[in-house]
Amino acid sequence: MESATVAMGGHAHEEHHGPPEAHQSSRIDRQTLGIFLFIVSEIMLFGAFFASYFFLRVVVDPPTWPPEPFELPVAIAGVNTAILVSSSFTIHYALESIRRNNRTGLKLGLVLTWLLGATFLFIQINEYVNIGFSARDLGFGSIFYGLTGLHGAHVFIGLLLLSFATIRAFRGHFGPEEKDHLGVEVPGIYWHFVDVMWIIVYTAVYIL
Amino acid sequence: MIGRLPIAKMFAATILLTVVISAVMVPINWDGEQASTAAPKIDTLLDVMIVLSAFVFSLVMVMLFYALWKFKVKPGDETDGEPIHGNTRLEVAWTLIPTVIVLFGAGYSWAVLSDIEKTDENRLTVDVFSQQFAWSFGYPEQGNAWSEGELHVPVDRQVEFKLHAQDVLHSFWVPEWRIKMDNVPGITTTAIVTPDKVGTYQLICTELCGFGHATMRATVVVEPPAEFREWTAAQKLTVPAPLMESIKQDSEVNPIPVGSGGA
Amino acid sequence: MVAAIKQPGWIRGALGALLAAAFGVGLVVILRDISGLPIWQTEQTGYPHVVVPLITAPLGFLAGFGCFDYWLRWAAGMPTIPEDHSQHGAKSWKDYFRFNTDHKVIGIQYVVTTFCFFFIGGLMAMMIRAELAQPGAQIVEASTFNGLFSTHAVLMIFVFVIPVFAGLANYVLPLMIGAPDMAFPRLNALSFWMLPLAGLMFIGSFLAPGGAFDAGWTGYAPLSTGAPLGQSFFNLGVQFAGASSIATALNFLVTIITMRAPGMTFWRMPLLVWANLSTSLLVVAATPFIAGAQFMVLFDRVLGTQFFQFAGGGDVISYQHIFWFYSHPAVYIMMLPGFGIISEVISTHARKPIFGYRLMALALIGIVVLSYTVWAHHMFVAGMSSWLRVPMMFTTLLIAVPTGIKIFSWLGTLYFGKIHTYSTAMLFALAFIVTFTIGGISGVMLGMVPIDIHVSDTYFIVAHIHFVLFGGSVFTIFAGVYHWFPKMTGRMYDEKLGRVHFWGTLLGTWGTFIPMHWVGMDGMPRRVSDYAVQFGDWNLLISCFAFILGACQLVFLYNMIVSWRFGPRAGGNPWRANSIEWQVSSPPPIFNFDEIPRVVGGPYEYGVPGAKHAIMSGEGAEVSQPQPTTVGSS
Ligand code: HEA
Ligand code: HEA
Ligand code: CUA
Ligand SMILES: [Cu+2]
Repeated sequence: MESATVAMGGHAHEEHHGPPEAHQSSRIDRQTLGIFLFIVSEIMLFGAFFASYFFLRVVVDPPTWPPEPFELPVAIAGVNTAILVSSSFTIHYALESIRRNNRTGLKLGLVLTWLLGATFLFIQINEYVNIGFSARDLGFGSIFYGLTGLHGAHVFIGLLLLSFATIRAFRGHFGPEEKDHLGVEVPGIYWHFVDVMWIIVYTAVYIL
Repeated sequence: MIGRLPIAKMFAATILLTVVISAVMVPINWDGEQASTAAPKIDTLLDVMIVLSAFVFSLVMVMLFYALWKFKVKPGDETDGEPIHGNTRLEVAWTLIPTVIVLFGAGYSWAVLSDIEKTDENRLTVDVFSQQFAWSFGYPEQGNAWSEGELHVPVDRQVEFKLHAQDVLHSFWVPEWRIKMDNVPGITTTAIVTPDKVGTYQLICTELCGFGHATMRATVVVEPPAEFREWTAAQKLTVPAPLMESIKQDSEVNPIPVGSGGA
Repeated sequence: MVAAIKQPGWIRGALGALLAAAFGVGLVVILRDISGLPIWQTEQTGYPHVVVPLITAPLGFLAGFGCFDYWLRWAAGMPTIPEDHSQHGAKSWKDYFRFNTDHKVIGIQYVVTTFCFFFIGGLMAMMIRAELAQPGAQIVEASTFNGLFSTHAVLMIFVFVIPVFAGLANYVLPLMIGAPDMAFPRLNALSFWMLPLAGLMFIGSFLAPGGAFDAGWTGYAPLSTGAPLGQSFFNLGVQFAGASSIATALNFLVTIITMRAPGMTFWRMPLLVWANLSTSLLVVAATPFIAGAQFMVLFDRVLGTQFFQFAGGGDVISYQHIFWFYSHPAVYIMMLPGFGIISEVISTHARKPIFGYRLMALALIGIVVLSYTVWAHHMFVAGMSSWLRVPMMFTTLLIAVPTGIKIFSWLGTLYFGKIHTYSTAMLFALAFIVTFTIGGISGVMLGMVPIDIHVSDTYFIVAHIHFVLFGGSVFTIFAGVYHWFPKMTGRMYDEKLGRVHFWGTLLGTWGTFIPMHWVGMDGMPRRVSDYAVQFGDWNLLISCFAFILGACQLVFLYNMIVSWRFGPRAGGNPWRANSIEWQVSSPPPIFNFDEIPRVVGGPYEYGVPGAKHAIMSGEGAEVSQPQPTTVGSS
């Protein structure tokens, strides 16, 4: 492995017009490691809001949760959860397709994921409009909007990344080689994170 | 390798320096006048820590200056030092010794903490109200007497201060008592003091609370119980109803801190 | 003109900022109109029509400046132009004012920018000391004073100490591990350009109605949630500084993990690399907490949420928990890279292998882990649940152990070495050991609850802060700047002026910050513009030393500027150091190496016969016997 790289970089006599190829010192590639670390910091950002949730609910300890007149649409949000979770499968399908060089599958998977994600956001905004309380209503309202809103923002970013991948897919980019579809894989990892995070948010906010 | 160093001499120098530093520093009364039963305990803890710190500091200084004196390069010498990469015994030693010192310090502090926060049965309760930028005091056991800007307490009797804040954070500090606790809006915090010296002191707000923070002070009068009774009886005002109401909803997240710090 | 608008650069950047600001205002107007709210909200905390543009305008500037050009083209699936490296390397000084992806250019951009903020923050410190020279009001009012020390601390912490370390490491770290650049060069450039924006936002808060943010650098709620508009500048500036620092940390981690030269195993990495690895772990996992805390404060201020409003079912103390869960690790973010610098400097100038290399690396990791478990030592008197105090006291004090390992190992490194003290870098490194030990010991005292109950929020804390931050972090920064100055500029600085700077700074630091311990214990609270008359003499003395300290920094400034321009040329390796960055020319070639070096041994093998750290291109032919990474007993 080492000697191979040295041999590769060994054209010492040729003119250099760019930097030498960096030695790849780990099996994981940069983009994937990068997105994993980014997700770590995202988890901690959610962690800050969950810490606040803990204080507002457990430490302040209001008599009821949600406080008296307010109610949460658990069922509708449950359906929404199902929608978001299924988008994890479609993005996985897209990735598997391009691995097998099935371009139609890739496009189909990406478009479906995008639509599911957008539906999720649409339903959530509807929920905000009809829910009957605002972020100003007690610590409860603040943390409800804080957690779901933070998550919504992440869905939005995820959708943005997915649109890049979709546009590129339709323009004929990506290929079955591992390094040729990082542009799908990396947003995909992020999307899975957004999904898993929703399950946690949903459990904490709506169910517990 | 250690064998080539004058370990005994270095150790002696460390001890000597420790003694000198301690001899200069321990007699000084750093924290100022002592006016509560907690003060001497905290100051003793501080003195012990000064001695231990003096030891650590002396050790570092002796090690550093011996090396600088002994191993400074001769002019023109371009060679490298000896390739010593480590020494397991030394490394274990300087992991263990600080561990022992800090564990001792922590244990001792814990003991002092539970000691100074022990509550008496017949303690006096005083409400402390704070808002930008003034202090006022309620005496629930003295017919809810109320005083603004001046706190009176009897000497030699434990006082439990119930701290309240109306707007932002403030902090209750009487340096001579060595006691400090934040006044937090929405909750009641507690400070336990047994003043043991008659006199007049200053109550200082130590939590940044706005442009008047620097001047948010109050007078503290510690006096014999009889005078205290007279003084409270002479107070015409009682705690205003809105103030009373506002603290009713406070949660006592922080009940008497005893037992928490202690055994 | 049209061409200038199309080209990424300052003009397009300004235009982008304007457009984005207009967009932000428009968005607020439209949204408020739809929701039937009065269009302008100018209650002291609100001002959405200022707050929203404060978010959009910097993004607009960055877009116009060219930070996103490549990515947007990539995202749109346009044919990516083959890399022409036109954004790489600096051929003239103008290239430092461009979006540049070369880690060496970015490193210098970072260091110069952050030192600008150091001098501005230092000037504020001078004003603080002028005000405090005498009891009573001298030059500013109480509320301005609060703004001054808040901005002083925020500039020093968020746009000086934290990023200057990122800058120094940006320059030397890729070279040290034999990488041609950082893993994500464009992200690296973006991280840098967010930084001046954050700094300007902090300073710009002085222009806001109601003045600069004045709730201290800690910005405790509910003082901060009710403060005038300036506080929002702080809330948002921290977001940009934080994003910058997270992105850089991520970049360092990926670079260190995936781009080490062949043969550069983890146990052969220089300790500076280890230090930045551990710092980056702290940044990635802790900084989001301050982002969260400041978002919540901003929401409380602008949207009327109740996170920290006790009357609305919020929790006041939760702010402090969330804040310190970041900000305690942050103090190690401000120290660990310095530890790395000291290791490099001491080993080089004592011409000895680092004593106990592996334990040094493990101590760093130990500090990282422990530092997540001690945040509540800032809250011993905050009214938090009292049971938390004792466990946090134990963890706090235990941090002295790994830190002590580092101190003693540096001392051990000096023994049987050949200590050269002609370099100002080495002087600062040695002085660091002493001053930081004092600062650390006062920290240990603070960690003991009964002592902290008395001295918390007094000048004793101010003394501790500056002993660890000035005598600690800033000394290591000076050591690092002097050490790598020849590498970065290709020229030598003036050692005589360096010595003047060193001795003046040492005297100034001790003279300024030691008496602060005394006045603090004796009853002087911090964050006050006025104090009891009895502290007048001490404060006058403190102020005098502070002015000496300030004046010495001007010597440093002069030395750096003049030597950069006129200093004698430095060779590739003036300190005869082993690590890879010294094996290339000064300054290094644009792409660092013709060929990636091959690492064959540890980085500190001074005095080991025949040992070699790395084989550079050209000398590759001779066979190297693999060097065991020699650690352990001698
Ligand atoms: C670079 C920054 C930095 C560093 C490294 C440290 C290091 C430490 N700090 Fe400090 N600290 C700050 C920056 C820093 N601090 C700031 C900015 C504040 C104030 C924030 C504010 O409120 O505005 C603060 C406040 C602060 C407090 C809160 C005080 C209060 O507000 O009431 C406490 C309390 O425990 C504390 C403790 C410690 C400890 C135990 C260490 C330890 O890590 C120190 C360890 C080092 C040593 C101990 C020296 C070397 C060791 C040896 C030679 C071995 C042997 C030693 C012994 C056996 C003792 N610090
Ligand atoms: C890395 C961090 C850092 C650094 C480097 C400094 C550097 C200095 N600090 Fe600061 N400081 C903090 C971090 C830092 N500080 C923090 C976190 C706080 C707490 C804030 C809070 O409570 O919220 C604080 C608070 C603080 C206070 C307490 C305010 C109060 O509580 O009321 C004081 C008071 O003396 C002070 C002084 C100084 C001085 C004299 C310097 C000097 O070392 C500065 C030296 C540098 C220069 C002077 C610049 C160079 C010179 C010029 C630009 C030319 C002008 C020269 C002359 C006029 C002679 N600082
Ligand atoms: Cu009240 Cu400071
Ligand atoms: Cu801390």
